[in-house]
Order: sequence, then structure tokens, then C-alpha cells
Amino acid sequence: MTSSSGRPWRGGARDDTSLSEILYVLGSRRLLVVGAVLILAGIALLFGLFREPVYVAEARVSVEPRGKLDSEEARLAFLEEVRGSVVTQKMLDEVRRKAGWESTPEEFSERLDPETFAGRNGGSGLLIRFAGDEPGQASRVANAYAQAFVAGVDDLGDRPVADGVPVAEASVEQRAVPGGYRPRPLIYAAIAAGAGLLLGGAVALVLEGRASGWRGVRDAELTLKVSVLGSIPDYSPERTEG
Amino acid sequence: MSLGALGDAGVRELLDPAAPVRSHYEELAGNLLGIEGTGIVVVTSPDPGAGRTSVCLGLGAAVAGMGRRAAVVDCNLENSQLHRMIGEPNFVGLTSGLEHSKTLEHHGYEVLPGLLVVPTGPVLSDPASILENEGVPKALRHLQASRDLVLLDAPVAWGVLRSPNLSGSFDGVLLVVHASRTPKVAAREAADDLLAAGVNLLGVVLNGCT
Repeated sequence: MTSSSGRPWRGGARDDTSLSEILYVLGSRRLLVVGAVLILAGIALLFGLFREPVYVAEARVSVEPRGKLDSEEARLAFLEEVRGSVVTQKMLDEVRRKAGWESTPEEFSERLDPETFAGRNGGSGLLIRFAGDEPGQASRVANAYAQAFVAGVDDLGDRPVADGVPVAEASVEQRAVPGGYRPRPLIYAAIAAGAGLLLGGAVALVLEGRASGWRGVRDAELTLKVSVLGSIPDYSPERTEG
Repeated sequence: MSLGALGDAGVRELLDPAAPVRSHYEELAGNLLGIEGTGIVVVTSPDPGAGRTSVCLGLGAAVAGMGRRAAVVDCNLENSQLHRMIGEPNFVGLTSGLEHSKTLEHHGYEVLPGLLVVPTGPVLSDPASILENEGVPKALRHLQASRDLVLLDAPVAWGVLRSPNLSGSFDGVLLVVHASRTPKVAAREAADDLLAAGVNLLGVVLNGCT
């Protein structure tokens, strides 16, 4: 089998690596690429299946300023000021005590994820997520945090917080309910498969660059970017001098 | 000269019209002759051992087998192989033809009907200076007048690039790479160097495929 064009592969693209060349290399080393994908995806799948489950609960606190803050950015800045004023070490100790948290404060902080929000239509406040080992633990902590936060805002009273604007009202808008288990093994496996494809592909390209043997006409054309006019089988190895 | 007179089984197979390898050389010959203006073709390779001489003989035999007239001329003056492959002495050839200003038709061996093999002939002085003799292109053009295709069994690519006659006086270059002996890097560099030098690289022959 030889080149159909019968002419050299001329032009300014000799140093460029085309998509078809990459696909050819990946195809010719598909065992390596598929192996890398399967191994990494399998490891990730097992990791996702056997790791300790995490239950996430979410509570929502509404916080409204007394004055009017026009922009979303201004309201977010206001909420951050409020959070900075309310959330203290003392408050966190109180939350841990009320929720019956028995592990370390550091692990508590790692599992807690409070986030301010400000909607375009006026609603603003704090979203509190907690990842627990059990569904009840997660909701207990999220609710304890929400209640402690509302109490802390109430304690601020009329004290101006940001730009002289005091907090008008804070309330628990949505209580956390025992969170559901979020299985992630398939997501982990998909991510790992993508990484495996990149890794396997990179290794295949490196090996191809160092290879000395030729696999055939297509390989020769892609490597040399010159048309192959003929391929001669190895009929008599000892007579190919010169 | 009959095929039976050729002592080497590998060469007999190259020249034998019934050999399995013949169809591959016929396809190569068809592709090469299909390129316009390829009367004299320089056959080179990135490294020694790719099978330039074998390809020249097999290709010449295939052209002759197609009813055309071909000639193979050994231009590898530093390491001549062609006369050994056909089992003939190197008393006459390219150098003797140049010396006597006679046509090369009379300084070679008709190993098959339509296939003339011209060895280097005796190399008594600097091979490079012989190749650069202005009589070389003239003698080969004269030979081409009676042949459809003249194949020059040339040195490796850097030797061709070093020789203005081989790199610029003829119709194109055929690069032979061996599937298991020629490193890809060397082949790529040779192709790049030939093209960078403005050589008309006609194509590649992949020799020794499995």
C-alpha cells in the first residue's frame, strides 16, 4: 500500500503536528491509552465507592439591611461586614456545644461552608452548609449555626455595620433537614478517565517520538511528511546493503 | 546474462518476474514513472543499510519487466556494492566510461532484457572529485536518451547533499528508509535536509516491511 498522491508532502506545514497525526499515534498505541484510562478510572471508582460517605445539610438565613443598598456588590459587602461582626470564636464554640460536636474545632471548620448571597430581586443573607458523617449531625450543626447567627445579628441592634447602615432584620429562612448522601464515584471516575486519556496520550506521543521502528506506510508518511511511493517487504534481509 | 548466472539468491529474487516481491516493485515503478519528468532519479537513504542497491535493482527490474528500458548506475564510489550484487568484476563502469568518453551503454552489464547495470568502475582517485566531474551529468543524460529510467545508486543523504551533481543535476531524489534499521529521527532529518537544500524529493520507499 502506498501513497495515493504520489507526490511529496510539500508546503509550510512540515513542522506542524496535525490532529490526524495525533489521532493516528493514539490509535496505534491504543492499548496504552485505554489502559491508562481504565486504570485511573477504576482506582477513582473504587476510591469513590469505598470512601466514608459524607452527608451535607443546608440552612438559609435571611439578612436585610435597614437602608436601601442598590447594587448587588454593596449588599454582599454589607453581608460580609455583618458576618465579620457576628461570627466570633465564642459563637462557634456555642454552635459546636449546641450541636454536640465531639471532634476537633479544626475539622469543624473544614466541614463548615457559610456563603453570603444577594439576589437581584432583593433577597440576601447567608447560606450555611455542613458536611457531616451522619445526616442528623449535619443538620444539627447547620441549624445551630443559623440560630446563633440570627441571635448575633439581633444583638447588633441598631449599631451601624457598613456605610452606616444598620441591620433591619435577620431570620432563619430555611432550616436544614437531615442531608442526603451525595455519591460521587462516577464523577471521580469520569475525571480520572479524562486524566488517564491525557496521561496515556502524552506517554504515547513521547514513545512515538523515541520509536525507531516503522509500522507501515501511513507511519512513514506522517513521520516524514513525504509521500511513500512504495513499500517493499522484507523478502531477504541479508541483501539490503547500501 | 541469465538469472541462473547470478549467484546470489536475493538478487535472483529481485530480478525474477515471478518472485512475490516483484508486484511491490511494479507498484513503486508505476508511481515513480507516473511523476512527470523523472528520467534520472538519485536513490539515497538516511543511513547505510537501508537497501538502496536492492531497491535500485528491484525497481530497475520491474521497469524492464514492464517493457521499458532502465539502467542502474552505481554512484557510490566510496563503497561500491552493485557489481558484487550482480556477481561481476568492477573493471568497467561509470569511471571507465568517463575516462574513455564513451557512452555508458558500453560500460555496464545487461542483467535482464531492458535492464543495464553500470558499476562504479575502478576508482583510482578521489571519489568526490570524480562525482563532481562535469562529464558525469553529461554521460548520464546521454545514457538516459536510450533509457526510460536511470537510477543512480547514490551515497547516503549527506553524501548527496555534499555533491552538487547528485543534489542538483538530475530529476529528483528517492529516499529509501528501512522499516527496522533506519531510525525515525535520522529519516526525518534527512528528509528535512534534502528539502531545505532545494532537492526535488520525489518520495520515500519503505523497505523491509514485515
